[in-house]
Amino acid sequence: MKIAVLVKQVPGAESPLPIQPDQSWVDEGAVAYMMNESDNYALEEALKIREVNGEGEVVAVSLGPDRIQKVIREALAKGADRAIHIQMETAGAIDPLSTAGLFADALREENFDLIFTGLQSDDLGMGQTGIIIGEILGMSTASLAMATEVGDGKIKVKRELEAGWFQWVSLSLPASVSIQSGLNTPRYPSLKGIMGAKKKEIKVVTPSSPDPTQSLEKVYVPQSDKQTVMIEGSADQIVGKLVETFRNNIKVL
Amino acid sequence: MLLPLERIIFILAVLVSLGLSWVTFGQMFKVIGRGSDPIDWKKSIKNWPRGLGVFLSQKTLFKTRPGIGAIHAGVAWGFTLYMAVNVVDVLYGMIPGFHFLPNHITGDIYRFFVDIFSVIVLVGVKYFIFRRFIYNDKQLTINEPVLLSESARKGMRRDSFIVGMFILCHVGFRFIGASFEVALHGQDWSQPAATLLSYVWTWFGIAEGSLTLGEHISWWMALGLILAFLPYFPYSKHAHLFMGPLNYMAEVERRSMSTLEIMDLEDEDAAQFGAAKLEHLPQKELLDGYACIMCNRCQDGCPAYQTGKELSPSAIEINKRYYFNEHLKEFSNGAESLDSLSKWMLSEEAAWSCTTCGFCIEVCPVGNEPMIDILRVRQDLVLMESNFPRDAMDVFDKIENYGNPWGMSPQEREKWTEGLDVPVMREKGSAEYLYWAGCSGAYDDRGKDISRAVAKILKKADVDYAILGNEETCTGDSARRIGNEYLFQMQAMQNMETFEKYGIKKIVTQCPHCLTTLKNDYGEMGAELEVVHHSEFIADLIKEGKISPDQSLEEDVTFHDACYVGRHQGEYDAPRDVLQSVMGTNGNIIEMPRNKAQSFCCGAGGGNMWYDIDRGKRINVERFEEAIDTGAKKVATSCNFCMIMMEDARKVTGQDETMTVVDIAELVADRL
Repeated sequence: MKIAVLVKQVPGAESPLPIQPDQSWVDEGAVAYMMNESDNYALEEALKIREVNGEGEVVAVSLGPDRIQKVIREALAKGADRAIHIQMETAGAIDPLSTAGLFADALREENFDLIFTGLQSDDLGMGQTGIIIGEILGMSTASLAMATEVGDGKIKVKRELEAGWFQWVSLSLPASVSIQSGLNTPRYPSLKGIMGAKKKEIKVVTPSSPDPTQSLEKVYVPQSDKQTVMIEGSADQIVGKLVETFRNNIKVL
Repeated sequence: MLLPLERIIFILAVLVSLGLSWVTFGQMFKVIGRGSDPIDWKKSIKNWPRGLGVFLSQKTLFKTRPGIGAIHAGVAWGFTLYMAVNVVDVLYGMIPGFHFLPNHITGDIYRFFVDIFSVIVLVGVKYFIFRRFIYNDKQLTINEPVLLSESARKGMRRDSFIVGMFILCHVGFRFIGASFEVALHGQDWSQPAATLLSYVWTWFGIAEGSLTLGEHISWWMALGLILAFLPYFPYSKHAHLFMGPLNYMAEVERRSMSTLEIMDLEDEDAAQFGAAKLEHLPQKELLDGYACIMCNRCQDGCPAYQTGKELSPSAIEINKRYYFNEHLKEFSNGAESLDSLSKWMLSEEAAWSCTTCGFCIEVCPVGNEPMIDILRVRQDLVLMESNFPRDAMDVFDKIENYGNPWGMSPQEREKWTEGLDVPVMREKGSAEYLYWAGCSGAYDDRGKDISRAVAKILKKADVDYAILGNEETCTGDSARRIGNEYLFQMQAMQNMETFEKYGIKKIVTQCPHCLTTLKNDYGEMGAELEVVHHSEFIADLIKEGKISPDQSLEEDVTFHDACYVGRHQGEYDAPRDVLQSVMGTNGNIIEMPRNKAQSFCCGAGGGNMWYDIDRGKRINVERFEEAIDTGAKKVATSCNFCMIMMEDARKVTGQDETMTVVDIAELVADRL
């Protein structure tokens, strides 16, 4: 069983996010980066499948500039066998279709049985990359996995639906599955893992930049302000004006 | 005195006893030799005055349980005297007509002391036997949730009985024998007790032949018992009488109680980090197992044990010892130990229950360090097994990603200074003192109050200082005590680089955990920093007249010692001096029953701040109730973690309206 796990480096939830003066992107130098949360669960799920099967390979794959080697090392320390680093400047964000195309190119030759991605990235939150990769590579796909069972050339996936409903689907391999946070307990790397990670292979590929299908207009922090309007008059008049304000100004009715 | 045949038998018995002892003592030292980090025996032997000093003075027995300590001292001194007595008695038995300086003042003094100490030992040992077997003193038992091996549970009682009976019979028969001798040769007032007993024999009119026979039997009982007991020593806790002093001689110097040696993480040949099995423990810590007398003093003030957790420091040593006994032959011959330590020595939950308060090390009369074993087991669980409380993992991630265990933005670290005139290194360039606010002083609300108070004092006293602000990052204290040496070293290297950058040599901090880590653990890493706790620093400022707070605290206050200021740094007076400097005429410092070296932990140390052990009573509540009982309505602390724990307990115990918790720096700053 050969499993690719896509791990993305994203700004931590408590990280400062100063925006560059030209509003093109955040100032990456000031950001505290870490592994995307659901990717961490996806990695754990892959490692568990390998452990249960007693054989197989888990390959961590990531896309971005040099700084992302930190999460690649983390994935290797936790137990991934090797890694692929798609070297690319990602400032300004690349659209999911282009991203998926880059991954698909890098993964095609490898013939993975499974591709695991996190449900979505905690920075851009597109939630599409893994599924599009699956489509490009002609794999079966499923999103929002809450549990997985691998056997007989298939993967059974428990998917989270709305309103507390779940669905078990069975996919033939190869398959690309996006993993929901919380389905397992991600491990902490052992010292042996951390030290061993330094010796594991990271294959760096440098594709040419894709033609973007979307472009980023600007990055900004929404401005909020507070206005107070005193409504005076009789009760009927106040109610009338309130309804009018709700309907026309605040647009909640 | 002995008949020729008796003498031959005695010589044979000595040979047999010594032969057997050679084997069992050899096994004992081979067991110790199985440890990882070797004891420097040459250095230990040179350290003999330390061992002898502790042995003769018995001073370590008086730290706690002084009454029992006094009785023990009587028995111990008596027993020591008996080492000489045995030699004299052997000569008396083996050399016909030998008497030790008869009709000589020196001989009389000798006989007098032997006589008196025989009585003292007999009374003392009877008390100990009564205490263990009839009164069943709770101090001598280890409560249920604690992992104690089956062989230990059974063996301790049996061994205690054997030891008690051995001393009782050895000294008792020697004493009776002396009384027979007095009865034969007439009263001897240099032996008042034996003479009194001799009257009994005379009164009963016991014939001379019977008295002589009695003397022979007594001689054999007294000395024969020694020969019988000698090979058993290595199996018995009674071995403490020489293994205890030896343990002091083999003592390892640590920069602080909890500062372990730095691990070489780059060592490619290292197959093991921390201790998973018995042979991973250093030799000194195996010696600990032989030195333990199972008195359980260590658990008397252990915050985990006293609140019903799975941990008893004593059980660690006892389990070790009974493992040695049970597997003596194989283990001493080099066989690998059977199970991992968490299966039989210290359960995982017990390992996580330790707050590293250092009480066990502080009070141990034989110099054992059970807490160090716990830290080593934790290192294995974290570095090798990746098996530790989930919340601790969360804290590791937060320290690694944000540089603080709270997981708050590193850009908000210096926010506590807003509105205050606090110099920052990156602007000031250099300063005599670095004021280290620490994570708790930068992110916790009460902690920020304390930092502001310290800053106010430093400014008032015109101290040349600056903070690192956002350049400061977690010292790695929690990481290291939980067992994550890797994360600790990463944090340490980052901070040491910053210190280098600004040429920082002197640091003031209000956080005792940062203090110990910066001063002792970083010291071990090679950074020699002069680190001062704010209590000491403020006390000095007051002494030098640089600040003089109003003496206007007009209510009673009780002071809670921080483990990492008190036991770990040996500083008990400075915070009290600071407190005294603000006391008005109507206010008094009321000590809690457990204070200074015997203070009771708040429950936060050793990483316990960050995860919950869901068993027994909460440690901070136990401590706060002690504070409530003093009647004082104010609890003063000198540690951020203590502050958080006491504040929490204040609410849990329903004292939010009636009591307050303050840091000593706040009391001073408010009065400047």
